[in-house]
Amino acid sequence: MACGRAEHRATGAGSLAVTDDAGRAVTLAAPARRIVSLAPSSTELLFAIGAGDRVVGRTTWCRYPAAALRVPVVGDGLNPNVEAVVAQHPDLVVLYASALNETAARQFERLGIPAVILRQDLLEDVARDARMLGRLTAHESGGDSVARAVLEVFEAPIRRRVAFVVWDNPPMVIGAGSFLDQQVALAGASNAFHDLGSASAAVSLETIAARDPDVVITIADSDDTRLPAFASAREWQVVRAVRERRVLTLPGALFGRPSPRAAAAVAELRRRLEALR
Amino acid sequence: MKWTGLIALAVLAFALAVLLGPAHVPAAELLRSPIVRDLRLPRAVLAFLVGGSLGVAGASLQALVRNPLADPYLLGLSGGASLGAVAAIALHVGGPWALPLAAFVGALAAMGLVYRLGLVGGAELDPRVLVLAGVAVGAFAAAVSTAIVSLSEATALRNAFLWLWGGLSGANWDTVLALCLYAPLPLAVLFAAARPLDLLALGEEPAGYLGVDVAVLKRWVYVAASLLTAAAVAVSGVIGFVGLIVPHIGRLLWGHRHRALLPVAFLGGGTLLSFADTAARVAVAPRELPVGIVTALVGVPVFALLLRRWTRN
Repeated sequence: MACGRAEHRATGAGSLAVTDDAGRAVTLAAPARRIVSLAPSSTELLFAIGAGDRVVGRTTWCRYPAAALRVPVVGDGLNPNVEAVVAQHPDLVVLYASALNETAARQFERLGIPAVILRQDLLEDVARDARMLGRLTAHESGGDSVARAVLEVFEAPIRRRVAFVVWDNPPMVIGAGSFLDQQVALAGASNAFHDLGSASAAVSLETIAARDPDVVITIADSDDTRLPAFASAREWQVVRAVRERRVLTLPGALFGRPSPRAAAAVAELRRRLEALR
Repeated sequence: MKWTGLIALAVLAFALAVLLGPAHVPAAELLRSPIVRDLRLPRAVLAFLVGGSLGVAGASLQALVRNPLADPYLLGLSGGASLGAVAAIALHVGGPWALPLAAFVGALAAMGLVYRLGLVGGAELDPRVLVLAGVAVGAFAAAVSTAIVSLSEATALRNAFLWLWGGLSGANWDTVLALCLYAPLPLAVLFAAARPLDLLALGEEPAGYLGVDVAVLKRWVYVAASLLTAAAVAVSGVIGFVGLIVPHIGRLLWGHRHRALLPVAFLGGGTLLSFADTAARVAVAPRELPVGIVTALVGVPVFALLLRRWTRN
């Protein structure tokens, strides 16, 4: 469905224009249907975004995924065999960034075959190029989800500091003695009140403001996950997370007690923290 | 000399409440820091106002019922306030003002009921009936709210008692402003009653002979002291010992004349609660102690010392 819509929009727009990693403007009249991919990384990426069926040529070294092995080999990726590539009648050639390949790209263009150069050196490049290939093949949603999955690797180690506020007046927070402290650590964040040994403790609002957590988390009695009342109280606006509405209300059914569903709770907590980004 | 000392102590208490806290704020940023401007400063002002109100309410009620054990909550106000707060939570009334308003309404309802019972058997408030009615209404309201809490699943309700045990965490400039607009009227009524309250100490009949309209005086003092206490409960829960001990300390040092005693009770109550709240915030930081515990820990030894000195003389 998503692919169909994207294709429709692309043809409706007439042509597809991107700037590749060498800074070249590349324009396609329509989404690419016959692609020769001249690097193992771009071949894998095309299959990952769901455009594997459009790959009609690969290098000797493109051996992943297994489905790629059925695609005809056109030689090497650096200083490619232009004749062998053209023989596959591609409407797009994907090249790895190097000086030799820029010459090759100009040759393909002179022959009327659009070519994009992808520089895939860092992990971030994978995300960017997934989106670019998604656009060129009308697989935008596939490209997007691959890009997001790659970027998650970067986001996971960002250790957010959270404060569990289980009661607002007097403010009570969760300390290291609670399962919530463990769950928040497993979810890739940290508890701003980890230094408190007990499960919970009354603290000054001033302390919460000074420790400046990125997110304030409350546990709802029910599955009612609206913002807690204190989020609109005037004195709480001194806490940055509350002022910026970075307040998570977790359902008590899953987070109100330690349970055998701890793994599910950790995954859910991670998901909700990421959704707040 | 005594006055200078008390005022100096009050200023010191207020200054410490603003300067000290669990969060480290550099001296240069004291005026600009939102922690000081929006948390410490309103909290310090509120602590002083609440402590002062409780001191004056306690002194007036002790004079009214002529019972040294009287404190601002004696007349059922704490029970009524807790029932109001618990009912607000049970009925899911939302908003930051729900709890204070509900507690205030609950305290006023208890006051009305006790007042009505106090009139039993005549048109005049009988202090003895008043005390009994207050204790009875307070106990009944506390029983009802405890029943609601123990039958309920909601953790919010169990936590309602945390709020009722007293604390100034909810302080902000809105609550300060509300109390600043509200408190002067009952305070003025009580200060105006200073002289008649002196005469009431002689007994109701002699006071009447000396030109005091005892029935009216008792009503005004009762209503004003209760209104003052109800507001204090609404913004800070039930904070014990201030309203009981401060008036006695005042009497030990300043004598029984209410013209001096009531201002002393205000300054003394404000000073005690300011010191206590600063200690509650700082002593076990980052944790916070319930301020009612600190008022007792600070107030009772001072009281005991003065009592010993006084009995020796």
